[in-house]
Amino acid sequence: MIRYVIKRLLIMIPTLLAVGIIMFTLMNFVPGDPAQLALGSGVHTAAEIEAKREALGLNRPFIVRLGEYISNIFLRFDFGKSLVDGTDIKWELMKRFPHTAKIAVFSILLTIIIGLPLGIYTAVHANSVGDRISLIVTLLFDCMPSFWTALLLVLLFSLKLKWLPSSGAKSLEYFILPTIANSLGGLAGFTRQVRASMLEVVSSDYVTTARSKGLPEKDVIYGHALPNALIPILTVIGMRFGSMLGGATIIEVVFSIPGIGQYLVNSINNRDYNACTGCIIFIAFAFAIIMLLTDLLYAYADPRIKAQYVASGKKVKKNG
Amino acid sequence: MADKKKKRGKRGGHHIDPSIKPGSFKYIWASVSHNKGAVFGMIFLAAIIILSLLSPYICRYSYSATDFINMKSWPSAEHLFGTDDLGRDILSRILFGARYTLIIGILSTLLSAVLGILMGAIAGFFGGVIDAFLMRFLDIFQAFPSLVLAMAFCAVFGTGVDKCILALGITGIPGFARLMRANILRIRNTEYIEAATTVNCPTWKIILKHIIPNAVSPVIVEIAMSISRNGLASSSLSFLGLGVQEPKPEWGAMLASTRNYIRDFPYMVIIPGIFIVLTVLSFNLLGDAFRDALDPNFKE
Amino acid sequence: MSENKEQFFELQNLTVQYHSGNSIIHAVNDVSLSLNAGETLGLVGETGAGKTTIAKSILQILPKNSVENVEGKILFEGKDILQMSDKELQSIRGKAISMIFQDPMTALNPVKTVADQIAEGYRLHQGCSRAEAKEHALSMLKMVGIGPDRANEFPHQFSGGMKQRVVIALALACSPRLLLADEPTTALDVTIQAQVLDLIKDLRDKLGTAMILITHDLGVVADVCDNVAVIYAGRIIEKGSREDLFDHPTHPYTCGLFAALPDLEKNVNRLSPIEGLPPDPSVLREGCDFKERCPYTCRKCDEYNNEMIEKTQGHFVRCWRAAASEQELAEAPRHDGSHHRGGHHGKEHHGREV
Repeated sequence: MIRYVIKRLLIMIPTLLAVGIIMFTLMNFVPGDPAQLALGSGVHTAAEIEAKREALGLNRPFIVRLGEYISNIFLRFDFGKSLVDGTDIKWELMKRFPHTAKIAVFSILLTIIIGLPLGIYTAVHANSVGDRISLIVTLLFDCMPSFWTALLLVLLFSLKLKWLPSSGAKSLEYFILPTIANSLGGLAGFTRQVRASMLEVVSSDYVTTARSKGLPEKDVIYGHALPNALIPILTVIGMRFGSMLGGATIIEVVFSIPGIGQYLVNSINNRDYNACTGCIIFIAFAFAIIMLLTDLLYAYADPRIKAQYVASGKKVKKNG
Repeated sequence: MADKKKKRGKRGGHHIDPSIKPGSFKYIWASVSHNKGAVFGMIFLAAIIILSLLSPYICRYSYSATDFINMKSWPSAEHLFGTDDLGRDILSRILFGARYTLIIGILSTLLSAVLGILMGAIAGFFGGVIDAFLMRFLDIFQAFPSLVLAMAFCAVFGTGVDKCILALGITGIPGFARLMRANILRIRNTEYIEAATTVNCPTWKIILKHIIPNAVSPVIVEIAMSISRNGLASSSLSFLGLGVQEPKPEWGAMLASTRNYIRDFPYMVIIPGIFIVLTVLSFNLLGDAFRDALDPNFKE
Repeated sequence: MSENKEQFFELQNLTVQYHSGNSIIHAVNDVSLSLNAGETLGLVGETGAGKTTIAKSILQILPKNSVENVEGKILFEGKDILQMSDKELQSIRGKAISMIFQDPMTALNPVKTVADQIAEGYRLHQGCSRAEAKEHALSMLKMVGIGPDRANEFPHQFSGGMKQRVVIALALACSPRLLLADEPTTALDVTIQAQVLDLIKDLRDKLGTAMILITHDLGVVADVCDNVAVIYAGRIIEKGSREDLFDHPTHPYTCGLFAALPDLEKNVNRLSPIEGLPPDPSVLREGCDFKERCPYTCRKCDEYNNEMIEKTQGHFVRCWRAAASEQELAEAPRHDGSHHRGGHHGKEHHGREV
């Protein structure tokens, strides 16, 4: 198993390196002079700009700057400084990350807590009235843009009922509406995936075998069908978690939560390309770690995959 | 007994003439046109496209005309959907703005479909180093949540309809490429291809007669789903100020510019949202109907 | 059959219908069978004849959302299974009646170890501790020839034949009084088939279990069964003791089955298959189901009421020929079927020689 983890890490690193290189390169060719930006608005003389360029190290060859940027990130976890206000991007990211992580984690938890039982229920009672209602409701939720859902929630629960705050991140209750808004769309898709996976498993032969052993129906469903249906669902949960990390971006803007997404949007709008690249690479890191954990869980849950990995792990050792 | 018959009728769904061959265009049409959701989707989309094209001629107000006397007026006979903070008629803006969501959704999907299918097909056919290289390359794209990737491209390209199409189009490439690659690998390993090979069926004929028809169905379904996804994403980007920008009446941008008035004038926010939902829903329903029609083996 | 002794197991007029799309599939039509304790009944028929449906309806494990209707009586030790509550059914399933499934590849849960899967049912029915159940599972595995070292492995680590051994151990874990074996050897390699069949036979004799063996292999029937029922298009068309059927096959379909068997004694160029295909199961016919394929079809078939005829004691046949005199049989000459068989014949013959 440890060998498998190492192998997955070895695959992850080149991908992240490539992400870093590509993002830095792309941002480097974006029109607009970073030196001008760093000086702020107003008219600056050519000499001033040139001095700033020199100070920012922009006059060195591209390849040198790229190498420095990448090695700073990967060896020292240093994302450089913001072009706009000169703050250290790493600290800004670290300060903001807990907010984004809270939204993503709460959202995935809400999705699992509601989506899993609902998906199981609708699969076990396929074609029942409850199933049909759930199908229509989830289809609608799936089509609702999260920022619109967020605005409707604010309208109802903050402005009309005055139950919950509409912006900020002071305490946990500030995260209730953002979590719901971020979850609804994904929740719909997740429920349908659980239902489909469960339906497939429920009609499989080994579930019939379990029933023929005389097990009560709930043991058949929860003891035999569910563990098998959950294996593909694990991957789905990982993907959803990742996309909720992305979805948090919009939610942070709507609810004025000082998370990474808000930082990203602000830095794009301010043309602060250092901060922008930093945010994107940071998100890619977080995303990669989530995917890694998902893969590991998956391998742990499915004895067939586990056996396969153990075998391939041995092969890797032989070749290495 | 009568009760049971009713139940079966409901579940059976399709009442397609059994003489029509599954897979033929006639069958697909018969199946899709029997699907209530798909019919709703087609009617809504046809209506919104026609109305959007005709909107400069049929609407009483221009989408961009400001009217400072009738600012923020609630829906009325005069302004069916009311006016926004600058007194612009929301109905005219909604109808005109439909084109952005549709154009961005459709063109970006086309871009990712063409490039993605090409890459996936190449990777699937040739395998080996080319396959490994292309797939590793696509891994880089998939190292982000797709919305963040689209935002990154928007940051690089800038704002505007064309940039937005480009950003969403590139973001969608890996999905199509992987779908197509999996498709080709799946079909190549089936026994009917083996059978065709053993009877000396020429390669071009295998590709034309066996692989393409079998690879096409999932792609069509994915196209419908991708249009709906990209339509949604384009309004999200515009809402964030990264896609289409004011004063263009893109629905997401409209929401962004009026969201501060939500407390007193909620119609400004609710109405554009409903249109986003209906458009996305229409494409989703069409995609579902196509999936049922194209794949007779597909069960819910 | 003695009247005073309570019948061990009996099917009375069992009828099962499925729905598929907008049509009803008549899978099992009016099937009546009986079985004494400790006896083995062979249920013979081709694919799709309704054999598996009969077995699954005995345990009430038919796919719920496609079953339209189940009628008749399934009497097990005097109680009707169709009238039982879920609780009662659960107490019978796996304990008094258990089943060996056709495809061992899919019949085992991929995420549980084989020992756990066997222990689970035993623990449920015996109410013993986890350790005792595990102990019993190990002894069951040993009985089917799987060592304790493999007990904690997962199904994917076993070959097909080994998996079927696990399935057999699972079915026999609670020493059931009735075992339903649904084509237990069909999915296995020919070399393994005999081993598995011998295993089932040995265990049956050791435990004194009654068995309904579903198969399309007449060789297996001759080897294992006391009584045989031949089923065609969801209906029993001939039943009786093994000797009745093997020595005096009467229904043209049964005769056709025997004719289709290779015989080492005779030197023939080709086997004689039964021409044609089984009838459409969505149509319920009044008369004989085999009429379209039968070489003896004649006017008399239309007059026949399709009732079972007792040819000799305990040997029932659903064909008027069973009660007909020599003269009657002679008057109804064998149908040559040339209008749809002739051309075909020659071609196939040629094909075989090449």
